[in-house]
Amino acid sequence: MPSEDTKEFITKAVEVGRTVLHYGWIPLIIYVGYTRSNPQPSLIKLISPLA
Amino acid sequence: MTSSSSPDASLVGDEPHPPDSKGFLGSISRVYDRLSTWRTGLGLPQPGNVENLQKEVKTTHLSNYMFDGARADLTKSLSMNPLFQVTHSFALGSQTLPASYNFAAIFANPKLFLQGGVDHDGNVNARLNHGWTPTNVTKAQGQFSSQAGHNMIQLEHDYQGRDYSLNLKAVNPWPADLTGIYIGGYLQSVTKNLALGFETLYQRPSPEMSETSTSYVAKYTGNDKNWIATAHLQPAGMLQASYWQKLSEKVDVAADLQVILAPTRRDALATLGAKYDLRLSTFRAQVDSTGKVSALLEQRFTPAFAFLVSGEIDHFKNAAKVGVGVMIESSSLTPEEMGMPPQP
Repeated sequence: MPSEDTKEFITKAVEVGRTVLHYGWIPLIIYVGYTRSNPQPSLIKLISPLA
Repeated sequence: MTSSSSPDASLVGDEPHPPDSKGFLGSISRVYDRLSTWRTGLGLPQPGNVENLQKEVKTTHLSNYMFDGARADLTKSLSMNPLFQVTHSFALGSQTLPASYNFAAIFANPKLFLQGGVDHDGNVNARLNHGWTPTNVTKAQGQFSSQAGHNMIQLEHDYQGRDYSLNLKAVNPWPADLTGIYIGGYLQSVTKNLALGFETLYQRPSPEMSETSTSYVAKYTGNDKNWIATAHLQPAGMLQASYWQKLSEKVDVAADLQVILAPTRRDALATLGAKYDLRLSTFRAQVDSTGKVSALLEQRFTPAFAFLVSGEIDHFKNAAKVGVGVMIESSSLTPEEMGMPPQP
């Protein structure tokens, strides 16, 4: 069984990872898609539903 | 198989036997080789996995496609290879769900699939599939919400052998005390038509408590693969049986029966459905034993514009639901960039 300190560290690490994924997942996909796309789209077309 | 050969055996060049035929490990590897050639010779098909046992039934029935109120999906393809598209979805006027807005982004290349969605409340759902080889895929799924208790993560590994498939899943695993839900599934082709398998669920809600339950599955595929019958026996007396048949190129029918035979509860639900794939439209109709009759029409006017109408009447409760929807796809790409042949 891991010690109390390790458990606390794991709890904190999971909480930080969860927050990073919560706010970073969509920007990450958009960044990956935007940079790897062929041809590269313009940013306004990416965000706006009408353009 | 040659790994079991001793290092000096390769030096003896004029030996009559192959170097790995010597010794105990050599004989094991020969038995293994013989078994695997025998198994290959049987020509058993790949059975699919336990999770997708009733995939054909689910795509024929409209339960997964049913919606009510109004909705609009605006999809924009920004790149075809690799695939990159964003979708804005709007829904309102549903009897059961509040009005919502959802933004989703998909990125996919042959090895990697990334999907993410965020709704107007800031709830994010995420999905990642990574294929190490075409038969070895790791999947991760997550749901992140600012409300406590709505977070979920699921890690999964899928391996498809020549005539079997193996699937391991962990739902909300907690590394500190290994609590969570763990699921392992195995499906093996026994003959050319029949596949048998099981799925074991190991639940550990707290370090002191744990619970295991196993369900058994069987799948029988017709010779031409145009009909499939499945049975799924779950613990606590639940049986789910289904039958799917492709009547013609355009028509699929499916029936599904769920029986619960627990000491405290006896219940059954039968569902019968049909799907018509026409040139520019898809029509699904379904009737079930709770008195619900429903239908869904998806009509494509142009490749980029589809119109959906759905309806459901509950005869026993005297209730009805109606839904209309549009799906618009736009693209910033020229036809050549989308991989279509150039117009003359």
